Amino acid sequence: MQDDRTLLAVRALGKSVPGPRLLFQHLELDVGAGELVAIIGESGVGKSTLLNILAGLDEADEGSVAIDGTVLGTLDDTARTRLRRERIGFVFQAFHILPYLTLQQNVALPLTLVSPDAAAAGTRAEAMLEAVGLGERGDGYARDLSGGELQRVAIARALVHRPALILADEPTGNLDPETAARVLSLFAGAVRDNKAAGVMVTHSDASAAIADRVLTLGRDGLVERRDR
Amino acid sequence: MARSWIPLGWIAAVAAIAPAATPAVSYPVVAPGIALRFPADHGAHPAFRTEWWYFTGWLRTADGKDLGFQVTFFRTRPPIDTRNPSRFAARQVLFAHAALSDPKTGKLSHSERAARVGFGLAEARTGDADVSIRDWRLRRAGDGRWATRVTAQDFGLDLSFQPTQPPPPQGRGGYSRKGAQPDEASYYYSVPHLRVRGQVTRAGKTVPVTGEAWLDREWSSDYLAPAAQGWDWTGLNFDDGSALMAFRIRRKGGGTVWAGGSLRRPDGRMTVFAPGDVAFRTLATWRSKATGAVYPVSQELSVRAEGRVQRWRLVPMFAAQELDTRRSGMPVYWEGAVRTRGGRGYLELTGYDRALRM
Amino acid sequence: MIADVRPAAPRPPEPRLWSARVALGWLIAGEWRFHPARFVMTAVAIAVGVALGFAVHLVNGSALASFDGAMRGVSGAAELSVRATSPLGFDERLYPRVARTDGVADTSPVVRLDARIGTKRLTLLGVDVVRAAVVTPSLIGARPQGADTGNDAVFDEDTLFLSRAALTQVGAKIGSRVTVVANGRSVPLRVAGTLPATDAAVAVGVMDIAAAQWRFGRLGRIDRLDLALSDRGAAEAALRATLPADAILSTAETQNAQGDSLSRAYRVNLDMLALVALLTGGFLVYSAQSLSVVRRQRAFALLRTLGMPRGGIIAAVVVEGLAIGLVGASAGLVMGYALAWGALHWFGGDLGAGYFGGATAHVVIQPVAALGFFSLGLLASILGSALPARVAARAAPAAALKNAGDVLDPRRRVAWWPAVALLVAGGGAALLPAVGGLPLFGFAGMALMLAGGVAGVPWFARTLLTPLAKRTRGSVPGLLAIRHLHGAPGEAATALCGIVASTALMIAMATMVTSFRGAVDEWLNQVLGADLYLRTTAGASFDPATRTRLATTPGIERLAFSRQIPLTIAADRPPVSLIARPERGGRDPLLVLIQTAPPLPKTALPVWVSEPAQRLYGWDPGERITLPIAGRTQFVVAGVWRDYGRQAGAVLIDEGDYQRLTGDDARDEISAMIAPSRDPAQVARAITAKLPAGLREQVEVSQPATLRRLALTIFDRSFAVTYLLEAVAILVGLAGVAATMSAQTIAREREFGMLRHLGLTRRQLTSMLATEGAIVGLTGALAGIGLGLLLSQVLIHVINPQSFNWTMTTRVPIGTLIGVAAALTGAAAATAVLAGRRATAKSAVQTVREDW
Repeated sequence: MQDDRTLLAVRALGKSVPGPRLLFQHLELDVGAGELVAIIGESGVGKSTLLNILAGLDEADEGSVAIDGTVLGTLDDTARTRLRRERIGFVFQAFHILPYLTLQQNVALPLTLVSPDAAAAGTRAEAMLEAVGLGERGDGYARDLSGGELQRVAIARALVHRPALILADEPTGNLDPETAARVLSLFAGAVRDNKAAGVMVTHSDASAAIADRVLTLGRDGLVERRDR
Repeated sequence: MARSWIPLGWIAAVAAIAPAATPAVSYPVVAPGIALRFPADHGAHPAFRTEWWYFTGWLRTADGKDLGFQVTFFRTRPPIDTRNPSRFAARQVLFAHAALSDPKTGKLSHSERAARVGFGLAEARTGDADVSIRDWRLRRAGDGRWATRVTAQDFGLDLSFQPTQPPPPQGRGGYSRKGAQPDEASYYYSVPHLRVRGQVTRAGKTVPVTGEAWLDREWSSDYLAPAAQGWDWTGLNFDDGSALMAFRIRRKGGGTVWAGGSLRRPDGRMTVFAPGDVAFRTLATWRSKATGAVYPVSQELSVRAEGRVQRWRLVPMFAAQELDTRRSGMPVYWEGAVRTRGGRGYLELTGYDRALRM
Repeated sequence: MIADVRPAAPRPPEPRLWSARVALGWLIAGEWRFHPARFVMTAVAIAVGVALGFAVHLVNGSALASFDGAMRGVSGAAELSVRATSPLGFDERLYPRVARTDGVADTSPVVRLDARIGTKRLTLLGVDVVRAAVVTPSLIGARPQGADTGNDAVFDEDTLFLSRAALTQVGAKIGSRVTVVANGRSVPLRVAGTLPATDAAVAVGVMDIAAAQWRFGRLGRIDRLDLALSDRGAAEAALRATLPADAILSTAETQNAQGDSLSRAYRVNLDMLALVALLTGGFLVYSAQSLSVVRRQRAFALLRTLGMPRGGIIAAVVVEGLAIGLVGASAGLVMGYALAWGALHWFGGDLGAGYFGGATAHVVIQPVAALGFFSLGLLASILGSALPARVAARAAPAAALKNAGDVLDPRRRVAWWPAVALLVAGGGAALLPAVGGLPLFGFAGMALMLAGGVAGVPWFARTLLTPLAKRTRGSVPGLLAIRHLHGAPGEAATALCGIVASTALMIAMATMVTSFRGAVDEWLNQVLGADLYLRTTAGASFDPATRTRLATTPGIERLAFSRQIPLTIAADRPPVSLIARPERGGRDPLLVLIQTAPPLPKTALPVWVSEPAQRLYGWDPGERITLPIAGRTQFVVAGVWRDYGRQAGAVLIDEGDYQRLTGDDARDEISAMIAPSRDPAQVARAITAKLPAGLREQVEVSQPATLRRLALTIFDRSFAVTYLLEAVAILVGLAGVAATMSAQTIAREREFGMLRHLGLTRRQLTSMLATEGAIVGLTGALAGIGLGLLLSQVLIHVINPQSFNWTMTTRVPIGTLIGVAAALTGAAAATAVLAGRRATAKSAVQTVREDW
């Protein structure tokens, strides 16, 4: 199911945080279309920071990140913002489903940021909700849903605009194991089906197991776990 | 003759409502048997209730164009309390009308002035003619020449009048009856065939004019009979030097209250008309769009004189010579230049919109 | 190198706001659907501000329009007039001179008298109907047209034409006889008709000028020459050069300027007060939007992460502000119109202040003003939203997403210098002089100081709470409350800025009014030193014979007769009052001098000027001034006296000097000192009995207590509207505190849940919130009172002297201060508790788990 195309290319990435403390350096990572990579590691090693850098929300000290050929470092904030809403999808631990929008609107949100065609966005969002098994719930609100369902909505939202890169930060951190497993397999399937590059940060081995590759972020950089 | 309805109208009514406490103002009664004395009678007669100096005539510009004009000064004495020491007390009130008829435009321009006498702003002298209201003035100089100067928004007249004939007293030696009652009368003389020289200003352009005019002088205390509706009057200067004046006072509802007039030949022969000697017949009427009044602007005048009935057809210079002076509390009337066989003059038509009150 | 000149490469479109409009729409609509009350409340705050401002402006404008109408009604709308500088008029021989002046087309002489018919006052004009017909046709009477009637009463000396208002007030019919009283004479006249062309609301009567001169004892004098002009420039130049001292050139504009200048300061002050309400509304929007932004911080962060441009966040919040502004301002205009209608209907055009006596006002629609107030409302709302929006857009999305609670650092220093800078700038502006008679810089200074005060609230709260926060002992709720406020003073300031602003202004006004009222009261006690006062009405006067007779009334110790007439100094200013009373031999102890000149040379004519006159005309003690009394007479200012009664100024000269200069031997006021053992009422009856029968009805006798009560009643009535406006501003501010406090409290749900987890009882939570609320309220009250006292000094020492030309000393309304502080503290505490009850109602576990 993997594709030859490299959608995410990370080269010689390094980042320090105020302290100063070196988080990581010389990181190399390539993720192809339809590939889901899990990054695990202990708390404080910089998993979330890495994710923020990949998303263009934070800036690296050295090295480069290229998303589908576009190098983030060459872009200003406006361009990064545009890239984010066109080429990147997000799944958060805390779901972040806006309580005052319907589920369908929540899912359609990334599309409507680009185009005012609300009808088209709605149709697409409805399809995405269908795909995550919430077909009839589009008119409902966040308060009607369980945690697992909320994360499924979040996954639908992350994929609705056919992004090149999907970033997930502890997507199952707030879910019970059974629900987590169901959501994860949905997520992995969605990444593959959409031919996107997926990067998931987690500290749960169980979650990481669903990925095509599991990398450990540590003092030595990203190390592929080969015990699978 | 006949033109002072305006102040009289006010005065009559005022007199009627004057409170009993006010000492009644007594006016001299017009009676036969006086002799006109000049130049004193050219001047004002302030004791009488009403008086006027009335110039009408035809003018000709250097390029031969005809114009008609009217300059009138009225004097009236309201029945106010004579004890009022205020300098503003309306012991005498003066009015003046001036009009210019231009056949080229078919329009009549007119203007007016009014003021109570006093403060040197409005005066009517006795002894000889000198009447002024601010910048308008009419006077008679020592050499017998009359002069007037009036300025208005759209025209101005600066004219001098040289008498060519002695003034004929009207009626019985200057006592001219207007009704069946002997005191319904005025003192009245005319000065026909006045030679006019002067200047007319129109649209900022001043041109010299010459022409011939008619002066009517009349003063009275009780003029119009209650039954009267208005009057028709004409004064005609004939090319041979004759002068004709005729009037009739119309009765409310039709008919004639009184009529009169005179014809004087250049040699001084004078015929005075009795009421039965004068007749007016309407030849053409004109309806004023502004007021709705219908005027017999063309009339046939017939008089019995010199042993025969003589007829003149009076044809207006143009029809629209109506003056609407209601804005200043005065009436609507028609005062127009007319032509006739062998002569020219003015025709006056009053009481055609409503009955005149005097 | 090529790269430098080549056109920009085709790029995908920028993340423009417009393309994200659906998302923005959802965002705003969702917020509205879920928090409609918040929107409605902020819109109401704006509406109240706009409504008050618009209403006050409409009322003022309508009152002024009716005043102008009244002026026109009496003046006949002449383009230019020559007016007498005092009711003594000028010599009628001026009339022909003016009439012959170049550029004057016609001149209408007028005698003007204050008159009454029965108890109804009217202006009686004597005109020459012939002249008025040309110059001021509206002063020409019309008779009902009937069979036997016409314009025939014009020269009748017995005839009176009345305006509709006069006819109605007097209750006369056309044809009936009325007795007109003026200049002390009663004259029966016949009502001949009406004045159809005058303003229907103006009470005016017109009669013949000669009759008016004769019957009302005005022979030789006229009061006005109305002019029709052919060349205005020539006429004005010629007349200015030749007019005698007792006549002045006056145009319709200067006439209106007179009315305008008298009440302008009052009207501007009211406008400013109304704007305060709007300002408070703006602060309220700011509070509400700040909270809303804080609450939605994570939503905005999410949107930023998903690719919403930074401007989108600002746009969303500003558009919300715009919507609030549109709704609020529109509603405000409607409310304002209704308020104005009601105010005019029930209180009159001057809102009870007595500036436009006699004229009935109707609401005059003012589209420009409507647009102005609408824009102001919109602006307040947009500005109130733009500031929080910028804060929201600046937040780093990644941090905001992660951060669950308020980002606050108790160690962060609170800047004090912006507040100080603003306060200093405000104080500096307040010291600048008035602009065109209006204290514009004073108001600017107040605005700056207000802004400074509000900006200083966080610092003030921090400073106030630091000693408390260092305490380690005390109840847990109390400590928590103090530390929360101490750590987040900005949050408290958000809630407080509206209330601090409105409290400060209310305290400032209250202090000013208290000081003013106290000063007036004290002044009244000083000036009302006599035991009885007699005053004539409608121009009646006490002639010398009457005065001699009155002086022998048993029980009288001393009688002082005086004359008071208006005296026009400048055509565009209302006349000053010229008062003549015995002053030379033995100064009147009732005159309260605040400045005196060094002893004057014997030959100098002394004049004592009132404080407003001094300030308006720059007449300082010792200075030589020329007054238009009996031509031009030079006086030396002997002193300045306190006067709160005559805003247009007053000058006092000795009765003897006055009589010598003018020959006017009439007096219209008597102050009587009576023997100690006598009953004032009895003496009053004795005096009345000695008056000639004709005069008896025209004399009002009053005792000082009555006059004092009357004066204070008028004072209170004229400030009633200010109290009302202040109360509304305070209410708006309180509503703001309530809304903000409850929103902040509810936003801390999870904190409360956590505290419950830690073992705090609900009662302890409530008490913590009550303490916090009380502290916030008290802080606001203290800050507001402090700022208010500061602002009151600007009002007392800058705005008042510059607007009304009188000074006073400060009197602090302690009771009001305590009341306001208590009310604010209580209200804030109660609000916090009420909001807290809701916030703590949910189960603790649920709140902690809940993500939003």
